[in-house]
Amino acid sequence: MTLALQLAVAGLATGSVYALIAIGVVLIFKCSGVVNFAQGAYAMVGAYVSYVLLRTGLPAIVAVLGSMAVLAVFGTLTERLVLRPMLKAPLVAVMMVTLGLLIVSRAACLIVWGPDQIAFPKVFPEGAISAAGIFITYNYVAAGVLALVLSLGFLAFYQFTPIGLQQRCAADNTRAALAIGIHVSNQVSLAWAMSAALAGLAGTLLATLNGLSLDLAGIGMIAFPVIVVGGLSSLAGALIAGLLLGMLQSFTDGLLTPALEEFLREHTSIYSVGALQQVVPYALLVLMLLFRPQGLFGRRGTERV
Amino acid sequence: MSARQLAITVGVAVLMGVLGLALGRYAAYLVNAVAIAALGALSLNLIIGYCGQISFAQGALLGVGAYTAGNLSNAGLDGAVAILGGGLLGAAVSALVGLPAMRLRGLYFAIATLAAQAILEYLFKILDPLTNGVSGLVITPPTILGFPMNSDQSLVVPSLVILVLAWLAVSRLMRTDLGRAFLVVRESEIVAKGMGIDVSHAKMQAFLIGGFIAGVAGALAGYANRLASPEAFTLDLSADYIAMIIIGGLGTWPGPLIGAAFVVLLPEAIQRVGEAAGISDILSALRELAFGLLIILFLIFEPRGLTALLSRLRPRGIGAAPHGSVGAPGESGQPQEGGSR
Amino acid sequence: MALTASDVTIRFGGVVAVNRMALDVLPGEIVGLIGPNGAGKTTFINCLSGTYRPNAGSALWGGDELIGLSPSALLRKGVARTFQNVASLHDLTVLDIAKLGASVRRDRRFGGHLLDFFRSERALEAALTESILAPLELTDVAHKPIQTLSYGRRKAVDLARALAGDPQLLLLDEPVAGLTSHEGMAMAKAVRDVRDRLGCAVIMVEHKMDVVMSTCDRIAVMAAGSKIFEGLPAAVQADAEVRRVYLGEP
Repeated sequence: MTLALQLAVAGLATGSVYALIAIGVVLIFKCSGVVNFAQGAYAMVGAYVSYVLLRTGLPAIVAVLGSMAVLAVFGTLTERLVLRPMLKAPLVAVMMVTLGLLIVSRAACLIVWGPDQIAFPKVFPEGAISAAGIFITYNYVAAGVLALVLSLGFLAFYQFTPIGLQQRCAADNTRAALAIGIHVSNQVSLAWAMSAALAGLAGTLLATLNGLSLDLAGIGMIAFPVIVVGGLSSLAGALIAGLLLGMLQSFTDGLLTPALEEFLREHTSIYSVGALQQVVPYALLVLMLLFRPQGLFGRRGTERV
Repeated sequence: MSARQLAITVGVAVLMGVLGLALGRYAAYLVNAVAIAALGALSLNLIIGYCGQISFAQGALLGVGAYTAGNLSNAGLDGAVAILGGGLLGAAVSALVGLPAMRLRGLYFAIATLAAQAILEYLFKILDPLTNGVSGLVITPPTILGFPMNSDQSLVVPSLVILVLAWLAVSRLMRTDLGRAFLVVRESEIVAKGMGIDVSHAKMQAFLIGGFIAGVAGALAGYANRLASPEAFTLDLSADYIAMIIIGGLGTWPGPLIGAAFVVLLPEAIQRVGEAAGISDILSALRELAFGLLIILFLIFEPRGLTALLSRLRPRGIGAAPHGSVGAPGESGQPQEGGSR
Repeated sequence: MALTASDVTIRFGGVVAVNRMALDVLPGEIVGLIGPNGAGKTTFINCLSGTYRPNAGSALWGGDELIGLSPSALLRKGVARTFQNVASLHDLTVLDIAKLGASVRRDRRFGGHLLDFFRSERALEAALTESILAPLELTDVAHKPIQTLSYGRRKAVDLARALAGDPQLLLLDEPVAGLTSHEGMAMAKAVRDVRDRLGCAVIMVEHKMDVVMSTCDRIAVMAAGSKIFEGLPAAVQADAEVRRVYLGEP
């Protein structure tokens, strides 16, 4: 029971970060119809930018906000310079161009910062909470809580503010939005900016947990199972699915993997199931697509002929 | 295929063969690499370029071919049989990957193939008895039809013969009812249905044939590297193949070979130049950077790829071959929701 | 064979697009289907051609029920249609489209494709060119990609595709819409020639009244999903109700 609680808390913490990434992907999808492979690149670049700013001695909060601002610019530039010229291109081309962006960002970071993992400056105080028999570092708590609060905050922003309203309008019905005077292309740019900023923050939080390296770009891939499970066009779905998948991975790693390996060792010649927690989200994705393609929270009939 | 296509295909292959066999081991290595990449690109061009179904799992399908052929020839079978086995299992797995395409379309299907790639990569790592886990399956050089494949040069002839056969087969396929059906499915599934085309059947055939060719390419890749390891068949490889057919020109006849040659030879060229310039420590990063930038620039400025670029430079050049006129799949690949971009 | 459609009804949400529509067509007969926009003409054709599945109704074709069959199954039974808007199909030539039309009559599983792979198409090409493309004046563009053709000629290609399947029942959805009057007349003549040659039954949805009057043997008028009149062309023109609903007269 204690183990389960421990795993649940850890899962919620990483799940919150997934949610932050996935919300950005859904946001871009809603207004651009693009599933963005470069979300992981935003996370990675965000972490490196935070690192640079922190190294200059800026207070953590300023450094992180600064990095989010830089990423917002990066996101806007992506939309204006790369996506906009491809308005009429086929889907495979658009997905591929965002993949190209991921490759370029990774290469650029590799050239500047090298391939090795870098210790990330301390952002949160050291130490750990020990309660109800579970043990969790402040780092984890802070990253999880921050990600969760920001995700919720963003959903509220999107739901209740005038800008959020304009965003929803532009995403739901381009023509109607234009007709009532919403500058749709600015809204699209804004969505990319916000999405990249959120991803940049997520990257920074992940770096505080796992250190800074090019591998951070891989976080973008988790967004795919998250958004499919949550429903491609549902921001709240992305949040809930992010938390769910974080927990699923945590429990897979902590409970399922050891049990499965014990069973396999007894009955087969396979002695390890490897990183099962990394593939479980994809298995779930496939099941979801086959049996409930609109996701847990998506609208039925969104995938029409 | 037309007589002209036949002549070009055989001519190019003979040229590649002569280069590969006359210029030493490194040239042979490059010719093999280009031929294998061209096979993989050919298979993906069939699925994406002709039939309009996006697949991010081609890298893993090559892996299936490599592991299968490696195991079969390690067990003592002739390389020819092993390659055939790699192709067949590639086709079977590809059919599985394509199965969701019967129900999903566009974006959803693309994501499903992404998941297939991730799951196959995982299986390569854990199916230890067949794949030897993360360290990879060491493949003993086989004999193909009695000829030992113990050097880069010896593999040149089988690679090129298989490339020519596959190339001609796909060219011929595109002149049959099934090939024409692919092209209609690519443009619009609705139109295809209305015209009486069995859309699911056509898609499945594209995945079976594409998977077979990918499996064969993977088998050859395994023999060229004498190793099949999980790192060799990742999503990055899938992305390489998509880049090849985009750079070569989606749905064009010469595109897969042009794209494959470009994507294989460019890093080699950068490597040589970089070594000469004494900046070898950041070479791999520069290679990646050039590769990524090229993908982006091609997609924005020349979405029909090098084939279109070449045919514009030389109006009667290779790009003017049939199926080389227009490349981009149509609305069938567009997302069906939130589509305001 | 004759077509007997009865009680065909289809609803989209709360809207009854086609309501208890009935229509009989005899072999060798061209029946015009006219009516204002939104009357349900194309929807009715879509029900007969397997594009839509109606909520109720029946369409008997020589004793076989057509409702519920897929477009490909219908094509094998000799029911072919043309489309209002012709898709632009990149890379396919006129002859390619005709071959696609011819291919649908053959069931192609269990290695059929493998046979195609080794079979020469010369004989098929010659036959299609002579019997399908030549009457539609498409011989000179047989090897041209269809997106290079004019709209009118692309519509002729679509008809060629339908004819290549050797149809017994031909459903034409606005075959002359968007064509110049010269092209329209040529198309109308082609339709009559086809009927004369193949003896097939034809249903033709069309707005151009001169073409309808000169081509059709009988005319059915639809409004708001139902048939409001049926008769000879002259009788339709004389009917006051039709004039009011369709021709906009008081």
